Amino acid sequence: MIEGMLTGLSAALSWQGILYVMMGCLVGTFIGMLPGLGPITAIALMIPVTYSIDPSYGMILMAGVYYGAIFGGSTSSILINAPGVAGTVATSFDGYPLARKGQAGKALALAAYASFSGGTLAAVFLMVAAPLLAKVSLSFWSADYFALMVMGLTAIAAFSNRGQFLKAVMMTLLGIMLATVGIDPSSGAERFTFGSSDLLDGISFLLVAMSIFALSEALSGVLRPDGKKAPAPSSKMGDLRLSKEEIKDVAPVIGRSSILGFLIGILPGAGATIASFLAYATERNLARGEKKKQFGQGSLRGLAAPETANNAACTGSFVPLLTLGIPGSGTTAVMLGALIAYGLQPGPLLMHDNPDVFWAVIMSMYVGNVVLLFLNLPMIPYIAKTLALPKPLLTVLILFFSLIGVYLVSFNTFDLYLMVGFAVLSLILRQLNFPMAPLILGFILGGMLESNFRRAMMIADGSIAFLWERPLTLCITLVSLALLLVPLMDFLRGLKRPAPEAELSDNL
Amino acid sequence: MSVSKDRIGAFLFLVFSCAYGIYAWQIPLLPTEQGISVSASTLPKIYAVVGVVVSLLALAGSFLQQATRPQGSSGALALGRTALLLVLMVLYALMLDPLGFLLATEVFLLAGYLLMGEYRPKVLFWASVPVVVVFWLIMTRVLGIYLAPGTLWS
Repeated sequence: MIEGMLTGLSAALSWQGILYVMMGCLVGTFIGMLPGLGPITAIALMIPVTYSIDPSYGMILMAGVYYGAIFGGSTSSILINAPGVAGTVATSFDGYPLARKGQAGKALALAAYASFSGGTLAAVFLMVAAPLLAKVSLSFWSADYFALMVMGLTAIAAFSNRGQFLKAVMMTLLGIMLATVGIDPSSGAERFTFGSSDLLDGISFLLVAMSIFALSEALSGVLRPDGKKAPAPSSKMGDLRLSKEEIKDVAPVIGRSSILGFLIGILPGAGATIASFLAYATERNLARGEKKKQFGQGSLRGLAAPETANNAACTGSFVPLLTLGIPGSGTTAVMLGALIAYGLQPGPLLMHDNPDVFWAVIMSMYVGNVVLLFLNLPMIPYIAKTLALPKPLLTVLILFFSLIGVYLVSFNTFDLYLMVGFAVLSLILRQLNFPMAPLILGFILGGMLESNFRRAMMIADGSIAFLWERPLTLCITLVSLALLLVPLMDFLRGLKRPAPEAELSDNL
Repeated sequence: MSVSKDRIGAFLFLVFSCAYGIYAWQIPLLPTEQGISVSASTLPKIYAVVGVVVSLLALAGSFLQQATRPQGSSGALALGRTALLLVLMVLYALMLDPLGFLLATEVFLLAGYLLMGEYRPKVLFWASVPVVVVFWLIMTRVLGIYLAPGTLWS
């Protein structure tokens, strides 16, 4: 294990490693800042770039983009009260009031320190938890994997916003259905190809990710213009420093929120959004007297809690990805797709077979957090200026980068037509308030779900008793059932109430 | 009475699941799959059935629930502009092979900016020509990716 850590450390600290993580953090911060574009878009746009470089560096780059995007989201939450990412909505509750009071610098600095602490503490937890879990998961059978994937898919629906449960289930199913297009890898039978040779290989995950996130997010901005112009970020940043008393005040908050965020991040389906809201609510409940009244008015605690928790949750979400090969969120699902495209098999064997990739990602998290703190923070006033970049140009450029990113991998113009089709589909789905993250998760897990199901059925001689024969599988199956039944009951009970039409549905 | 977004969504998914199911039942059973419990069509059939059940549930829910008013629809200008951008993307795909990367992309970016309401010649120039050339140089010279010249010229 020590050897693996050192290999990872040397990759992360090599000049290429540092360069990629810096690039990732910067690009991520930039994209994350733009309202409407989230980390999934940021990562999807980077995938074509990573194809030409070594897998460890590719993963380092994407991980950098991930933290960068979350950090960028915080910046626009604080400066212009327009969270670029759902995970940073809670940041705006106290961050924006602070900026209005002329303390934007302090708020951004605290956000950076909190993100740094949350991310770093969670990376330590990850370093301990991931190898342990990887060891345990070596004893998993196909049946367990199948049950785990079902659990992951039901969890994402179960953790979706109130009133969105069935929609999330439908989107997951749509993703799984799309994954069945092409030649069936086990039997060789053609499925849903409609005689087209372009569909024989199935639909590439990059194409789906680009169309339903990058393309449709950019087009949504055209379709639903904000109406009002975003307020220009204040040019006055104020002091970046925090006093000793302030640090003393927020330190315990950061500690608590790191642990909370990490644990929630590990859970499949629950991501940075749930972690940040929960951390905010917890701290508000713990606060007493005057401190409690400050929440919502520019409380430092209220800013530190969600900022710490969302970064810790991002790190936590790497645990199931790296150890089980099962992504817990839309963002890690896109990363899983990239890993598979590299020819790597994510899962318990990744640590054993490709320790360089496994450890490089973990080690790069420390580097990424340092980069965010020391590189991005001083540059914030300059990066914030890009928020004023003309939107027309940006929209067209995003469309171009998405299209060409997919084209440069396949060199097939059929893929571009397919992208337009998917973009139209997801625009319609977005208008109907369907969440998009479950779709990509279902799409990525669909293939693995089927192969594990087949293997498990073969081992069990065609009987589905494998779902309850071993205690471990039975436990996972029961949890999946509970995850499915609880929100279903809630849905049936709530039929008489008016349905809330949630706005921020992609909470990953 | 306003038709809620939930109902439209559920109905569309029901239609999709039915169509998916019809094709799932047409997946041929290969000779090698005779007698085995899980064939290429097993899971698609299950997905189709689950899809129908879930969408029926959502549809029933949308009827029982008090309908929420649909949010204000986007203006005709925004809709037209989005549609034109989509058409432009299709045209780009059509142009890419015959015109080659450089020219097709230049046309795409310029047309896109114009569509989005950017008419200043200086901005149009600086936001398109350098972008295309630098991107092309990075792809071909730095990353070594071959971008074929248009079939019209070769």
